[in-house]
Amino acid sequence: MILVGVLRHYVMLLLGSSPKKQSRAAIREQRALVRAQVLRHTSAFSPIPPLFYQALSDHLQAAFATSAYLQPKSTSADASSGPPNPLTDPSAMDGMMDGMKKQMVMMVPQMVMMGWINFFFQGFVLIKLPFPLTLGFKSMLQRGIETQDMDVRWVSSLSWYFLNFFGLNGLYRVILGADNEAANSSRDMMATPFAGAQSQPAMGQMQDFGKLFKAERDNLEFAEGQYIWSGKDVEIRVLQKWSKL
Amino acid sequence: MDLTSALQRLASYRAKQSRASADIVKDGELVLRKAGLTKLGDEEWAFLEQLALAAIDTGKLDVADDITDGYAIQACLERLAAKFPESPRVDVLQGIRMEATESSETVIRYYNTLLEADESNIAAWKRKISVLKSSGDIKTAVQELSTLLDTFYTDVEGWLELGSIYSSCNQYTSALQCLSHAMILAPQNAFYILEAAETAYSAADIPLALKFYLRVVEMLDEPPTSGTTPSRPEGPTLRAWYGVKLCVRDLLTSTSTASQSESQTTPPSEKHLKLLDELSTERILAAYSPSSSKAGEGPPLGRETVVKWLENTSSTS
Repeated sequence: MILVGVLRHYVMLLLGSSPKKQSRAAIREQRALVRAQVLRHTSAFSPIPPLFYQALSDHLQAAFATSAYLQPKSTSADASSGPPNPLTDPSAMDGMMDGMKKQMVMMVPQMVMMGWINFFFQGFVLIKLPFPLTLGFKSMLQRGIETQDMDVRWVSSLSWYFLNFFGLNGLYRVILGADNEAANSSRDMMATPFAGAQSQPAMGQMQDFGKLFKAERDNLEFAEGQYIWSGKDVEIRVLQKWSKL
Repeated sequence: MDLTSALQRLASYRAKQSRASADIVKDGELVLRKAGLTKLGDEEWAFLEQLALAAIDTGKLDVADDITDGYAIQACLERLAAKFPESPRVDVLQGIRMEATESSETVIRYYNTLLEADESNIAAWKRKISVLKSSGDIKTAVQELSTLLDTFYTDVEGWLELGSIYSSCNQYTSALQCLSHAMILAPQNAFYILEAAETAYSAADIPLALKFYLRVVEMLDEPPTSGTTPSRPEGPTLRAWYGVKLCVRDLLTSTSTASQSESQTTPPSEKHLKLLDELSTERILAAYSPSSSKAGEGPPLGRETVVKWLENTSSTS
């Protein structure tokens, strides 16, 4: 099983497609937010004088308001349909195909192993669980064993398989390093496939930059209120530092 | 001069990205001569790139003179191209090689083809802009650079370059705007603030220059903890103190300077200006003070000249 996990990790690496080339307009759109963030980041003790700060802030707010940074939309009928439909938008489609391919790779070896265990290791108990369980689990964990009175703690090999499946995460982390594919994907199977896809910021094409820009405008206004120039009263600070004042 | 020390030096140059081209060529030739390429393993490619750049930089386009198996620069490029066929990095290296010998139109055409293939190839774009600038086409260079910075905002090097192009054309307000971007991207860097101070001073915006100089001083110079003698300001700190002295002298002597600030900066009050005058004089003298010179060095040169200059400036205020 360990070997299967390691194999899965490497197959995943090979399948993972390289980051897509983006057009200049797409990069510009993505990074427009960074401009505003950089400006706001230092606003409380800003290196730039008030006139320059104001000019930058105004320019960015105006640009966000008029959507100067958004990618030019290819056709009409965009405002009404909201975020682009994942099935028809080719760039989002690629991302989804990637995710589905990865899930397929995950599932196939698991099913193969489950079938194999079911076939060969059926009908006898394998281990005794160290913790007690209720009777409801008997049907799940003792499949194929016909005794009614046996303690639920005796389980078949299939449950040993499941235990391993969830538990080898730690072992994978030691062998393959922290961010490995074999362990994380098991959690992907638990989460709904589309919920994950929509919340990932990496799939930026589905994000609605219009709304983000609007939010950023409000942030910029707020930062303007916080703005203090680092050069304000700098002479007093220097003189005090050198005990002249 | 043995192989391992040469390899170590080259590795440290690569890590620090230093432009010690003559040394790199010397060490690189040694490595090639002693057939050290096999020792490098995976680093061979980085080494070849480094050697190629250094050789083009020093004009030794044919690093082959007394090497028996004839590793010319062209051979370096060929090896890299063979190993990494579609690599944009190797393409740009080819472009740089072309810049050394071909005309600028040819090179710009080459970079344009690279950019058509891949719009977001920053390296090729930047090389194109530098070729435009060095061939004298400043207007196009500025336009292209502005477009690049519009897309790739966080490129501090680009902002500094644009600022210096504007300064060279005496457009100091635009230069200050570019430097503002550089400063907010790297707020800890006192050198950019010093450059902004110098630009403001050149633009005759003395109050703004004073504020920037004082910021540099605030960032870089520390008063001694009680008892010890004051440290000697060096490098950018000393330059900033000179800047403070000059601005303060200007503000104290002429009445019109204070009101002419294009950025509408209010200068400090007269009392503060006088105190700053004293402080900056002290610090400049400390830089040339014989007592604070390091052991083994003589007294600092130029002390008499500086003292005379300081006395002159003080007497006119």
